[in-house]
Amino acid sequence: MDGTKARNNTAAKQYIVVRLGNEQYGINIKYVDNIVRMQQITRVPKAQDYFVGVINLRGEIVPVMSIRRKFGIDDDVFGGSTRIIIVKPEQQAIVGLIVDSVREVVTLEDDQVEKNNINDNSDGQAYISAVGKNEGELISILNIQTLLSEKEPV
Amino acid sequence: MDVSQYLEIFVEETREHLQSLNENLLVLEKEPENKDTINEIFRAAHSLKGMAGTMGYKRMQNLTHNMENVFSEIRNDKMKVTSDLVDTLFQCLDALEAYLDNVVNAQDEGTDDNEPIVKLLNDFLNGQGGARETAAEKEPPAQSQEPSASEDSFKNVVFSEFERHAIKEARGKDMEVYGIDVHIDPNCILKAARAFLVFKALETKGEIIKSVPSTQDIEDEKFDLEFKMFVVSKEPLQSVVDAVKNVFEVKDATGEVITINDEIKEEEKPAGEPAESAEKPETQPAAPAAGKTAAKGKPSGKPVVNRSVRVDIEKLDVLMNLVSELIIAKNGLVASNTAEQTQHSQSFNEQIEYLERVTTNLHESVMNVRMVPIETVVSRFPRMIRDLSKKLDKKMELYMTGEDTELDRTVIDEIGDPLMHLLRNSADHGLESAQVRKEKGKPEVGSIFLDAYQDGNNVVIEVRDDGAGIDVAKIRSKAIDKGTITLEQADSMTDNEIIELLFKPSFSTAEKITDVSGRGVGLDVVKSKIEALGGDVECHSVIGEGSTFTIRLPLTLAIIQALMVRLGSEQYAISLGSIQTVEDIPVEDVKFVQGKEVITLRGSVIPLIRLGELLEVRDMDEEPETLTVVIIKKGDKQAGVVVDSLIGQMEIVIKSLGKYININKMISGATILGDGDIALIIDANSIV
Repeated sequence: MDGTKARNNTAAKQYIVVRLGNEQYGINIKYVDNIVRMQQITRVPKAQDYFVGVINLRGEIVPVMSIRRKFGIDDDVFGGSTRIIIVKPEQQAIVGLIVDSVREVVTLEDDQVEKNNINDNSDGQAYISAVGKNEGELISILNIQTLLSEKEPV
Repeated sequence: MDVSQYLEIFVEETREHLQSLNENLLVLEKEPENKDTINEIFRAAHSLKGMAGTMGYKRMQNLTHNMENVFSEIRNDKMKVTSDLVDTLFQCLDALEAYLDNVVNAQDEGTDDNEPIVKLLNDFLNGQGGARETAAEKEPPAQSQEPSASEDSFKNVVFSEFERHAIKEARGKDMEVYGIDVHIDPNCILKAARAFLVFKALETKGEIIKSVPSTQDIEDEKFDLEFKMFVVSKEPLQSVVDAVKNVFEVKDATGEVITINDEIKEEEKPAGEPAESAEKPETQPAAPAAGKTAAKGKPSGKPVVNRSVRVDIEKLDVLMNLVSELIIAKNGLVASNTAEQTQHSQSFNEQIEYLERVTTNLHESVMNVRMVPIETVVSRFPRMIRDLSKKLDKKMELYMTGEDTELDRTVIDEIGDPLMHLLRNSADHGLESAQVRKEKGKPEVGSIFLDAYQDGNNVVIEVRDDGAGIDVAKIRSKAIDKGTITLEQADSMTDNEIIELLFKPSFSTAEKITDVSGRGVGLDVVKSKIEALGGDVECHSVIGEGSTFTIRLPLTLAIIQALMVRLGSEQYAISLGSIQTVEDIPVEDVKFVQGKEVITLRGSVIPLIRLGELLEVRDMDEEPETLTVVIIKKGDKQAGVVVDSLIGQMEIVIKSLGKYININKMISGATILGDGDIALIIDANSIV
């Protein structure tokens, strides 16, 4: 892991790299509160379809959403490496994201990150704010704000 | 002096005084001769002045000082209470409130001198002309009144045999007996400590023979802002009084020489207030009756002992959260106890039961602490209606009942605005003008009712008027005009459904937009606010007779008793408060009315709700021969909710589902069960 490579550089950001199917996604570590194993999810009737339900996180009730459902790709298959990333985009607001697995934490310099220029909404492109390059692999950086917003971004 | 630490107390107490002024002014307007009210007003104004002065809010002090002058004239029968005067005084209160808001927001009273109001007040004072001549020699009349009240109470003090003896002895030794009336600054926090310093100061001058209230009570802070001391001393009165005045945070001290004969009589010496002599002729003949007046005046002026504590609401929230955690932990313990096969000893089970009782009681106590009578919100409405009545030029009267109904503090904080909206609506749209009312054969003065009462686990607040009622036809055509509904829809809608449209955003039927209401942001705001509190609002209206808005709010927000039910593999909680009974109904007893399932229960026909279908539960049990039906009620409506099976009663902690997930109205929250699972809470009110 190269997470310590450029710690002094202020332009560098750390991302948690997760896997969804064959793709890798990065979540800015400043939003991440916690990572928990898959657990019993209680269905919430009549909620948005991409919300799988709610979980009990140490006495707090946290809604859990499926990125796959939001992106409109195949539904999750829960396995041993399935994790729920607990993100906290703002105070008092907390939400869980289901991912297939968590790989590593990477530090990306600004010049390793390229803004996303694909504007169509296929496969949830609008939820990708940028693409990072790390050791020859591409990491799609998730835009947490649009991911959680109600409206379908244009 | 740094007063910032007292700011919070100042704000709270000022609010209280303003509220009391508001209320009493309303009374005074109706009964201009009511002496008790005038005294009450005078006292509140005086305290306000003192507090503002200590805090250094000069403008506030100035305004209250002028008000006080007016009240003083009224109190001395030198001035009559007129409607104009009351108007002006209300303006004063508004101005004071504005100052206070400034203080809250900016720690500063602002720069508005409110000169027009002060001038108005002075005009009233000067308008007295001849009647005031005698009073004119007096200093500010307010101050001259003060000592006269205390004189009365000196006479009223009863000395014990021992004290009398001490006094006589002292006289024999050429010493004088002084009665000292000490006023502590209203903002003083450690009153007992100040009193102690007063004691110290007096001890250097002579010997304290008595204090009212007793020394013990003073040490325990069981006194209001003033107390009396009796001292024997060789020093002249003035020097004794000055010694007391030098104590920090003593606002004022007056003293006089006490003489004890068989019949109590005294000479008074001016101490600080030169104007006192003017008062003398009046007080002297009153002496025999002094005992009576003092006894009458005292209880209303000084609340005997204040046994309450002010607590920051946040601290209560923390406490409440801890109780919630405790209940979840207890539920976990109970669950693991019943789940484990091994037999626990009897004493273990007893202890668990005991724990359950304690947590339930604890929860109830904490809830009780958080309960506030609705009075704190509604008490400002009579004043508002009075203002509206003048503004709209309609005659109206507000009748309130059930002000002592209690609600959770968080609900109380939020309920004020919606209620105000509804009252304004009633005043503006509901009630007709006096002329129209006369033509219709109604009493000229319109009535608005605000009734609050508890109904099971709900608190109901009704806003009712005897005005024109809601013109359903008008709303119908308006809704079609606006495109809210189509013509076909309009035809099939019932009157109640049409009235419901009023709660839709931006739908106002007022023909002209007035200052009071009619901007189309009224009822939908009311509805959303009340729903945010977990309540709902309904409207009934009879044209020509008036309309009623009924607000239904949950009594508590955090912890409820609930019935746990099972639907397929899922668990849901239904608040026990809305459950009437649970029935087993054979399938063949289910009848159809207009294509909907109903059952007949004890003579009434109740619609059946298949909760599993409503909630899209996938693995419902197969239809059994008898249905388990939970009968829920909301007001006078009933419904039967079909569930797979019952789990049992449980105390649950309501938790929110978070910000991002959109939940249906049917679900009012979630709770964590003893085994860590989550159960959603069904809002029975929304499915009936």
